[in-house]
Amino acid sequence: MHVNGDPVATPAEADHGLRLLDYLRDHLGLTGAKEGCGMGECGSCTVIIDGRAITSCLVLVGQVLDAEIRTVEGLAAAGHGPLQDAFVARQAVQCGYCIPGVLNSCAALLDRDPDPTDAQICEALDGNLCRCTAYNRFYDAVHDAAAARHPNGAGA
Amino acid sequence: MTPGAHAVGTSPAPWVGRSRPSLEGNDIVTGAITYVTDRREEGMLHGYVLRSTVPHARIDGIDVSAALALPGVVTVVTAADVPVNALGPRDVDGPALADTVVRQVGEAIALIAATDARTAEAAAGLIGLDLTALPVVDGPAAAAAPDAPQLHESGNVSGAIAFSSGDVEAALADAHLVLRRSVHTPAQEHVAIETPGGVARWDADATSVTIWCGSQNPGLHQRKVARALDIPQESVRMIANPVGGAFGSRNDDPMPVFLALLARRAGAPVHVHMTREDVMAAGAKRHPFWTSIDIGFAADGRILGSAVRAVADTGPIITSGPNVMKTSAEMSTGPYGFDVASFDGTVYYTNNANAGAFRGYGVPQVAFAIENAITEAAHELGLDPAEVRLRNVLDGGDRHSLYRHRTTTSLNVRATLRTAVEHPLWAQRRQWQAGAVGPWRRGTGIAVAMKGVGMGSGTGDTARARLHIDDRGHVIIWAGPNHTGQSIQTTYGQVAADALGLPIETIDVRVGDTGEVPESGPTAASRSTYAGGAAVRAACDELVERCRGLGLPLATDAAGVGTKLVELGEAEVNAEFRLPDTDDIGIVPPEQLATFAPHRVYGTCTQVVRVEVNTLTGEVRVPELLCVLDCGTPINPAATIGQAEGGILQGLGMAIMEDHRVSEGIPRTTSLENYLVPTIADTPRMHTLFIEGSEDSGPFGAKGMSEVVVVPTPPAIAAAIRDAVGVLPQELPVTPERMLALIEEAPCM
Ligand code: FES
Ligand code: FES
Repeated sequence: MHVNGDPVATPAEADHGLRLLDYLRDHLGLTGAKEGCGMGECGSCTVIIDGRAITSCLVLVGQVLDAEIRTVEGLAAAGHGPLQDAFVARQAVQCGYCIPGVLNSCAALLDRDPDPTDAQICEALDGNLCRCTAYNRFYDAVHDAAAARHPNGAGA
Repeated sequence: MTPGAHAVGTSPAPWVGRSRPSLEGNDIVTGAITYVTDRREEGMLHGYVLRSTVPHARIDGIDVSAALALPGVVTVVTAADVPVNALGPRDVDGPALADTVVRQVGEAIALIAATDARTAEAAAGLIGLDLTALPVVDGPAAAAAPDAPQLHESGNVSGAIAFSSGDVEAALADAHLVLRRSVHTPAQEHVAIETPGGVARWDADATSVTIWCGSQNPGLHQRKVARALDIPQESVRMIANPVGGAFGSRNDDPMPVFLALLARRAGAPVHVHMTREDVMAAGAKRHPFWTSIDIGFAADGRILGSAVRAVADTGPIITSGPNVMKTSAEMSTGPYGFDVASFDGTVYYTNNANAGAFRGYGVPQVAFAIENAITEAAHELGLDPAEVRLRNVLDGGDRHSLYRHRTTTSLNVRATLRTAVEHPLWAQRRQWQAGAVGPWRRGTGIAVAMKGVGMGSGTGDTARARLHIDDRGHVIIWAGPNHTGQSIQTTYGQVAADALGLPIETIDVRVGDTGEVPESGPTAASRSTYAGGAAVRAACDELVERCRGLGLPLATDAAGVGTKLVELGEAEVNAEFRLPDTDDIGIVPPEQLATFAPHRVYGTCTQVVRVEVNTLTGEVRVPELLCVLDCGTPINPAATIGQAEGGILQGLGMAIMEDHRVSEGIPRTTSLENYLVPTIADTPRMHTLFIEGSEDSGPFGAKGMSEVVVVPTPPAIAAAIRDAVGVLPQELPVTPERMLALIEEAPCM
C-alpha cells in the first residue's frame, strides 16, 4: 500500500476488516478524510485510489493492500497545489468539512482530463454534498486550476 | 505560503468592502485544520450514546451490568449518575438523559465510554431497558385533543403568541378580493456535513472540564454543562470550533453536556462522533408548520388586512419552539405595510422529532403563506406580481404592520424589488417561457422577504469584544459570536484593520472559546457580522481614542505605541455593543416588549427564479436564480455572496426535496439515502446583487443577511410553478408525486 506516494507498512491481518476511512484517520493520522454519513452518500470521505475518486467509508483495508492511495494531505505533492489555491482564492470554502472530498473528486477529474467542461465537473462532484456553499464556485476553481496547470493549453 | 492571500503589507485600506479569502482557507484545503471531531487526546476513550428506538414509553428499569462487564468498557452513565439531570432551568428543557420516560425516537438514555468506538457501541447493545409503551402524541392535532396524554406537567402547549393591530374581518369586509388559504411546510434537517461530536477532558485536580465541540452559543453551553455537572460556570471551558457547519443545529445540541458527563465519569478524555442516522433521528429540525392566512386586497392590489394563524410541532422538549413562533409572529406581515393585521400562533409538544433553531427561524414558514397569497392575488386581479408587491412594500422608517413600531431607514425592500424587476431574469420571462420544449414547461417566479437582525427590542441583546496590543504593535481581538463555517473572524479582521488603521496581518482575531472570549451571545438571528462586528469596532475605536488622548501615534508607530501602552497598563480594551431597540415601540405594551421583541433593523431580499416543470414526471428543475440583497455594507462581499448562495440552496431544498418525515412518532427519513438534499446537479446558476445602503448602527454600515436569503426561495419557486403550469403548490416540498397530483387536478392549461 502506498499513501501519498510513500509506502506504508502492510496493515496487520486483524486490520483488514477496518474501513479505509478509519485506517487513514486513526492508524495513519490522516484526518483530512472526513466522515459525514458512513454509507457512501455524502462524499466527504472521498480519497483517490489508483486514480479514481472513491468514498473511503465503503472500502475495507483488505481491498486496497496494493493500492496507491492519495488523500487531501498529499494533493500538493501530486501537483494539485493550484487546485487548492484556487479553492481559497475563489472563496469556494466555507466550513470546509466537505472540501477534502471535493478536492479529491476534482483532482481525480483533472488527472483524467486536464481541461474539464462544466458538465464533467458536475458529474465528478455529484457524489459530494456541501451544505454551506452552492457549489457554483467549485466550477470556477477547477477551471482556474486547469488553466494554472496548463498555462499554454487551450485552458478555460 | 498562504495561497490566495493578499501580499503582506502592500494592500491599501480600506479592507471593508473588499473580498478577502477565509483565514483558515489554506488549512482547509491542505487537510491541516483540526475539526473538533478530528481532535485526538492522549489516553482518549471513545463514547457512544444509547438512544430510544420508541417514541413514547415509561422507563421501568435500566440494567447496565452486562455493558459494564464487557472488556474495554470504562463507564456507563445513566440519568441516576447525572448530578443535575437537566438541560436547562425548566422542566420543559428536558433531562440530559431520559429518567422516567422517553418521549421521542433518538432521545438519549445512556452514555458509554470504552477503549474503542466499537466496544462502546457493542456495550450499548447490552444495556437492558425495561420499557412500557405509552400512547404516542403524533402531531399538534393529537396534542390538542382533550384526552391527549400530557407530555409535561404544564401540558402539551409549549408556547402561544397572539397580537392584533385592529379588526381584520372588518377590514376584509370591504375587500375586492379575499383569500383564505392554508399552507404546510415540512420539518427540515440541517445536514451540517460534520455531525455533532468532539472531545472533552476532565481535570480532576482543578475539577474543571474543557470541551471541544461545535456550538453556536458557547456561553449557553458552558452554563448547561455547569448545571448538569453541578460545578461553577468558570470550571467549564467550551472551545467551539472549527466545526463543519451548523445552520441552527448547534444552538440546542446537548452534545457538549454528554461529552462533559462522560469525561468526568471516566476521568479521561472522551471522544464522541454521532452517526448520521443518530442525527437524523435526534437532531433538532426546522419546525413543521401549518399556517393559514385570511388576507384581503383592494382592486389595485393593495393589502387591506391579514390574519395569520400558525401551528408548529416542537417535539417533546421546548428548545427554541416559542422563540421561533415569536419570530413568525413579527414576520407574519411579510415585508409589507398595511393597516390591520393579526397573528395567533401555538407551539405543541409531541412525540415527534424535536424541532429547534434552523436558519430563518420561523420566517420561511409564515412567509410561504403570505407570499403565496400575494402571488395568487396578482393572478386573480390581473396584476403583475412584482407590481403588487411594490404597491405594498414597507419602506424604511415606516411602521410595521402588526406591531406599528418604527423601522429604520436602512430598510430597503423597494430597492431590492426594483433591481430585481429590471434584471433580464424577470424582464425576459416571457421569452424564457416561450422557449419550453417537450414536456418541460417553463415559468418565472418572484418573492420578497424580510427578517430582523438580532434578538429584538427589549431583550438586552449585547455583543462584546476584548482587545490587546503588545509591544510589537500586534493586536489580538477576542470577540463573540463564534463561527461555524462563516469565517466570521476574517470579517472581524477587516473591520478592525480599517478601524485601527493598522496592517491586517498584525491583527489576530479569536472566537468561540469561553476561556478567552467575553460572553457575546449566539451565532444566530443574523447578528454575528452586525453585532459582533460592532463590538469589534467599538473596541478598536476605544483604543484609537485612548491613543489620541495620550498623544500616541498608533497608525504610524504601532510597536512604539504598544510598548508604551503595555508600560502604562493601558494595553487592553473591553467594549460592548448593545443592539439598539426600535425608537418607537408602536402599540406593543412596554412591559411586554421582550415578549414580542420587535426589531429595529431588518435585512431584506428579493429573489427571482426560473423553473422547468416536467408535466409527465412532475419533476421540478431550477436552472437559474437571482437574489437581490439589502444587507447594508457587505464587509467581505464574496463571503456574503457565498452565504447567500448557500442559504438559497437550503431554501431550494425545502421547496422541492427536503422533508423529514415522521409518522406514529417513528422517523421515516433515517439517513442521507432517503433524506435528500441538493447536490451540485440540483443547483441553479445564481446571481447575487447588492443594493446600496447603510445601517447606521452597524459596523461600517453592515447589517445581517444570512437567514433572510432562505426565505423567498420556496415561495418564488411556487410562483414560478404557477407561472409554468397554472397551479400554485400550498404544501412543501413540491416532490414529483405532489407536482403530478397538482397538475392532474389543474384546470386545462
Ligand atoms: S462518509 Fe463516506 S460517503 Fe459519507
Ligand atoms: S463548506 Fe461546509 S460543507 Fe462544504
